[in-house]
Amino acid sequence: MLGNLFSKFRSHSNRPLFFRKWIYWSPIPLTSLTYFYEVKQISGQSMKPTLNPDSSAWNDICLFDRYSVLLHSERDYNREDIVTLRSPDDPRRILIKRIVALEGDTVKTRTPYPEPEVKIPQGHVWVEGDESFRTDDSNLFGPVPAALIQSKLVRILWPPDRFGPISEPMIPSHRSGPAYRHAMDAIERKKTRQARVKVGRPYGVDANTY
Amino acid sequence: MIRKATSFVFRYARREGAELRHQPLKVLKEKGKGFGIFCLHVVNVGCAVHLCTQYVGRISFMEGPSMFPTLADKGEIVVEDRLTPRLFPDRIERGDLVILKSPIMPERIICKRVLGLPGDIICVDPTGEKAPSTEHIVIPKGHLWISGDNAPYSRDSRLYGPVSMSLIQSKLIMRIWPPTIFSNPLTYLD
Repeated sequence: MLGNLFSKFRSHSNRPLFFRKWIYWSPIPLTSLTYFYEVKQISGQSMKPTLNPDSSAWNDICLFDRYSVLLHSERDYNREDIVTLRSPDDPRRILIKRIVALEGDTVKTRTPYPEPEVKIPQGHVWVEGDESFRTDDSNLFGPVPAALIQSKLVRILWPPDRFGPISEPMIPSHRSGPAYRHAMDAIERKKTRQARVKVGRPYGVDANTY
Repeated sequence: MIRKATSFVFRYARREGAELRHQPLKVLKEKGKGFGIFCLHVVNVGCAVHLCTQYVGRISFMEGPSMFPTLADKGEIVVEDRLTPRLFPDRIERGDLVILKSPIMPERIICKRVLGLPGDIICVDPTGEKAPSTEHIVIPKGHLWISGDNAPYSRDSRLYGPVSMSLIQSKLIMRIWPPTIFSNPLTYLD
């Protein structure tokens, strides 16, 4: 009986070994998190009607793709993509915004920005939240360097009723009710967003860069 | 002698092959499993080393003419500190050498000297080449003014304005090659 009791204690002594094993094997998952895919919960309202809408009781949990931004030889993001980026003002904050314009494009700006139109300089992007009154975006701090972009949103994982990639807004067949109104609102926002951008040519890379 | 040694190797290899042929499938499978686990260990160690060089510190080669009197065009090896600039971005001081992602070319890494911190008033270009020499600006919150030591061959804040602190990747601690111990301590100015 005493032996039984001691064996129980002995099984506890395995615990540090277990943790040591965890720590020893942690580099592979950590590396894959930093270079391939990561899962993040979205807090805050900056992408409100698309992510974290008023109708859901949960904060959205999303899957982000880091490979196409960090390792892909041509940084693979485009207009209308939702990306996470480090805040240009504060290195410790991560923002989630939608890319509105790429380098070379001309954008009509919104209120806090001093000039009515901006041509996006080389290597920069123009990012905005989905509803202008909720976010601090490029209208406040201007075009942001593309090197600040961390990852690209791939799909929503939680809540389950909106599981899947963020789809193009479509007119639902049933022409009434909140779903129809939300879809029409999304279409309207997309139209105004695209109307403000004049697509331009990207800057050429000059050979003697130093 | 060499012939003896090679013949030994051949004999050994033949014996190994024979052993493998006569082993039952179970043992072979076990050996394969062991090899797989060994590979996993190797990958794991590789990942650990990579994470260390990404987030803690590393030794790296420098090249480019923009920091000329301080760092030569090529053949310089330096030690980078990648941990503290990430954890404590406020500890960056004027005069530090930092390595950052270029704001105008996202895939490019550049090394420059920090001239101004947030809140400083700075003259854009005292020589008046890239901007009128009377133009002064206030560096906004969370931004830095960077400049290469070799001004005519450097594209820096004079061209693209203050850069965000979030772009900073690391700080240079020391140079390990060429060694400075044996070099002439006198510098000639003309």
